[in-house]
Amino acid sequence: MDTLLQILFNGLSVGAVYALFALGYTLVFSVLGVINFAQGAVFTLGAYFTYLFIGGGVGSNGALAGLQLPFALPFWLALLLAGLAAALVSVGVEAVAFRPLRRRGAEPLLYLITSLGAGVILVNLIQILMGAEGYALPAGALGWLPVTITLAGASVRTVQVLLLLVAAVVVLALTWWLEGTRGGRALQAVAEDATTARLLGIDSDAMIRLSFAASGFLAGISGGLVGLSLSITGPYFGIGFGLKALGVLVLGGLGSVPGAVLAGLIVGLAEALVPGEWSGYKDAVAYAFLFAVLLLRPRGLLGRPLDTRV
Amino acid sequence: MDATLPVQMVLGALLGLSVYLPLATGQLSLATPGFYVIGGYVAALLSTGVAALGGGEPSYPLPSLLLEMGLAALLAAAVAVVIGRPVLKLRGIYLAIATIALVEILRVLNLNLPFTGGAVGIFAIPQPFADPWGYLLLSALLLAAVCWLCARLGAMRLGRAQAAVRDDELAAACMGIDTAQVKLTAFVISAVIAALTGVISAHFLNTWNARQGSFDASITTLAFVVFGGSRTWVGPVLGGLVLTALPELLRPVGDLRLIVYGLVILAGPVVFPQGVITPERLQHWARHRPWRRPSPRAGA
Repeated sequence: MDTLLQILFNGLSVGAVYALFALGYTLVFSVLGVINFAQGAVFTLGAYFTYLFIGGGVGSNGALAGLQLPFALPFWLALLLAGLAAALVSVGVEAVAFRPLRRRGAEPLLYLITSLGAGVILVNLIQILMGAEGYALPAGALGWLPVTITLAGASVRTVQVLLLLVAAVVVLALTWWLEGTRGGRALQAVAEDATTARLLGIDSDAMIRLSFAASGFLAGISGGLVGLSLSITGPYFGIGFGLKALGVLVLGGLGSVPGAVLAGLIVGLAEALVPGEWSGYKDAVAYAFLFAVLLLRPRGLLGRPLDTRV
Repeated sequence: MDATLPVQMVLGALLGLSVYLPLATGQLSLATPGFYVIGGYVAALLSTGVAALGGGEPSYPLPSLLLEMGLAALLAAAVAVVIGRPVLKLRGIYLAIATIALVEILRVLNLNLPFTGGAVGIFAIPQPFADPWGYLLLSALLLAAVCWLCARLGAMRLGRAQAAVRDDELAAACMGIDTAQVKLTAFVISAVIAALTGVISAHFLNTWNARQGSFDASITTLAFVVFGGSRTWVGPVLGGLVLTALPELLRPVGDLRLIVYGLVILAGPVVFPQGVITPERLQHWARHRPWRRPSPRAGA
């Protein structure tokens, strides 16, 4: 029987993933004003990279059947490398799906399509190379850390604590970078007005690449952590998270970093509190929130007011 | 000749037009698969559950099918009005996300409601036609009717109001156009088209489940419009026909076909930012008559 504390912890750790995911959307959205729908595929890639880097072997269905990297890294290093690899892929997505359209000054609707095209390609590449089967990261992946720890009388899975800790560190680091460093402020300047930023000598193309790299990194490590926490259910497993994170994004307010975090935790907690006999409806919670917020407060919890320009 | 693929293509063209109508009013709605699924469930539940409709007979009676289409259209229109009033106040990406959420909520409901058959769905939906040719005739008639409506819209008050709202909503409102009403009308027509398509599709596929209306379907149908071109009704029809056929035609490529499909929707907007069919291109073709038939209505 789960205690309330365990339920809350489950909710918070899932919510942390939504928050990381939504932050990835937010970074790109605040700079380009569009949603990068390839994010779910990059998240999936992060999970598979993590799995490979800690020494997992490829199953029998993919083109790479039987492949196993000659090294087995400790989990934290594998996660970091997977994040970096995902960041690289994300920059690649920007180069093929976003930059050509930006050059032409195309309407934002088209980015939605091209980024989805990139996502479809990535997901199916994974399917061809690794097969459609699920992968579970080994229980011993955490090395010397115990599988569960006891907090205030409740036993909690270590990976969930880890998820929360990593999310907290990432959010703090991101906030520090955005508010406290030259690079972060340059990014904000581009987000505010790309043309003016360029006039002020900021390389806006580089800033856009940077935002894709950062969002890819976020997606990659959250994918790896979820892979460890819940196992990888197949090449499509990032898509569901990605869609729910859209709800989180709008709930928090498009473009707002603290909003995305707050909304992620709220949605995660709300899902965890859905009683067992209604568990089938759990997946609708994020969207119900989204509808409520769109109708009652379209700017989201912590977003800026929507402006209407004439 | 097997008419299965042509039926799928025509159904794809209908879904493309369902996405096109709100878009022609400047509203990016991805709700089409939601209404498509509603239509499919109406057909599946009625034809398998109501014996009086004649589901037990060797050939499902055509009047029952038409009754289903009528009921599905009514239900979809009612849902569209209820949902559309608040949702259409949203703009741009917000509207797109809200309609994605609508599709997802419907999917979760269909997976969990006691009467929709869960993940397995509903099986053995009776067949009104012995072979795909009957379905082809029915869906082609529907497509012709919708195309005729779309072509007529340009000369109608509604169509002109749609174009005005798309180009500048504020200016349209200042000219006395009831923009909310115009947007809602387009949304409702779009929902009805999707639901009618769903009815035909459920009988055609013989089975119906929640997977028919997923986020993937939202994007596929949007790709029809973006690829074909969203500025004339000919574009979505062409996009629906071609992109539905593409994965089937690519079957020989095996596992790579979805990657090729991904490449097409990735490269399409880059190469043709306005879609393959634009009004200018249509006019050019109409003037120079590269084919014998001068009119763009060949798409119907």
